[in-house]
Amino acid sequence: MLVLEGVSRRFGAKTAVDSVELTVVPGSFVGVIGRSGAGKSTLLRMINRLVDPSDGRIRCGDVDVTGLRGRELRDWRARCAMIFQQFNLVGRLDVLTNVLMGRLNAAPSAKSLVRLWAPEDKAIALAALEQFDIAGLAAQRADQLSGGQQQRVAIARALAQSPEIILADEPIASLDPRNTRIVMDALQRINRTYGITVICNLHSLDLARSYCDRLVGMAAGRVVFDGLPESLTDDVARELYGLEAADVIGEGATSPAAAGWGARSPVAIPA
Amino acid sequence: MNGSAPTAPRFEAEALADMAGLAARHPSIFRVNWPRRALTVAIVAVLAGLFISGFWALGFSFARIAGGLGKLVEFAGFMLPPSPGSYATFLTYLMALAQTLAIAFLGTLTAAILAFPFGFLAAKNVIPNVFLHFSLRRGLDVVRGVDVLIWALIWINVVGLGPFAGILAVATSNFGEFGKLFSEAIEAMDKKAVEGVASTGGGKLHQVRFGLLPQVFPVIVSQVLYYFESNTRSATIIGVVGAGGVGLHLYEQIRMLEWQHVSFLVLMILLTVAVIDFVSGRLRFAIIGNAKIVA
Repeated sequence: MLVLEGVSRRFGAKTAVDSVELTVVPGSFVGVIGRSGAGKSTLLRMINRLVDPSDGRIRCGDVDVTGLRGRELRDWRARCAMIFQQFNLVGRLDVLTNVLMGRLNAAPSAKSLVRLWAPEDKAIALAALEQFDIAGLAAQRADQLSGGQQQRVAIARALAQSPEIILADEPIASLDPRNTRIVMDALQRINRTYGITVICNLHSLDLARSYCDRLVGMAAGRVVFDGLPESLTDDVARELYGLEAADVIGEGATSPAAAGWGARSPVAIPA
Repeated sequence: MNGSAPTAPRFEAEALADMAGLAARHPSIFRVNWPRRALTVAIVAVLAGLFISGFWALGFSFARIAGGLGKLVEFAGFMLPPSPGSYATFLTYLMALAQTLAIAFLGTLTAAILAFPFGFLAAKNVIPNVFLHFSLRRGLDVVRGVDVLIWALIWINVVGLGPFAGILAVATSNFGEFGKLFSEAIEAMDKKAVEGVASTGGGKLHQVRFGLLPQVFPVIVSQVLYYFESNTRSATIIGVVGAGGVGLHLYEQIRMLEWQHVSFLVLMILLTVAVIDFVSGRLRFAIIGNAKIVA
């Protein structure tokens, strides 16, 4: 059980996240929605402690996440894997080594630093890649892959950590509609198959509605909505997104990115 | 919901249970590449061997270091407290240091101004002529290949002893380096901006002026500022061979075993370099803003 108690984060005079109270039940798929700048990324990064909260407490079971340091902090990070909008892979390393990064916390440093990986770690990394049908790319350099493939490598890296929670920060924002589906399906599958909690920042409301079993709406750093996807009415959405509302609601549910473009540019692209 | 019982290790367990299958499906990943590993070990061994044998061949000796260490401490003792002896000498040193600074400043600026057009001419994306590119680059290489100290010795023979030879020495050797650095910075720039300017009907000069220069200017400025600082140190050295500045005083005081003077001079130079470093850092931010510098 992940519990956030009055968590705030200020950057200078600006409050990015403002006294957020949140309880996440293990095994759930939580979508965090809201316009850009609402504090979604900061919230996720605080759970992984990439950003430290200015105020409040984050607890997981009997672990006080906010107080962790050194070895314990690294152990916590291994338990809550992170997926980024820009994938954050090491482009010059091969795919397998990128996924093996997920084993760093479990493997002895003396061996991992000279890249002597145990066969067990290799097996776990490969199995993670096989989950997303990209084991064949294991020997390729990560920067030679397409965006969709890179994001799947990043999810495999997260899975190789064998985490309890996966924090996905706008995982599909740089992807085309087809890869959006592939990546969201991958997250859904590991959530259902392995019971890994997924907390996912999403800009698109339609995606959030179709994949998440709970939505948390943020505006100006505060949680302004918390409930089932069905209970998020268009009125609430309009409040959440303001002027952007037309872009994120009522468009084709399957291809949110294309819908977003369509709403903005009336130009028809010949097939 | 199974409470706090960790569910994830199920994936790990699954993967480990299937190790035989994984090994069968991806044999190349589990096979240890012995030739490659042996090659890595061999390369490291050869490098270590070269390192050790090199030291051994050139008379490395712990005894001499240990003996010398005592002397070093002794010299350090002689150096305390740093002192120029008299106020008159202090003024002399100060003037010499100012001369060194002037040599570095004028030399760097001359080199930068001369190298600026050459940087563009030697950049492949500005002048696509292979022959011109090649000859310019090799020409710059020749100028650059000769160290500033040697240029100082050459210019002393041409224009006589003194700071003028020093300025020329710094300018020539930096000209070669700047030419290469500028042209490489220009080649690394984003082509999209140039294409944008060309698409509006702008000529070649417009493309360089508006497409390239705004991108490359911050890089050039930061390189020149760094070289100014580095040249202040080199200008000290060329003083030793008679090209003006504080170097000559430093050399003479070392020869005369006036260690307090030596340490005072060194402190003066250190302080100057630190001040330049601070000022050039501020200048760089003022000119470039907080944008990321590529080179």
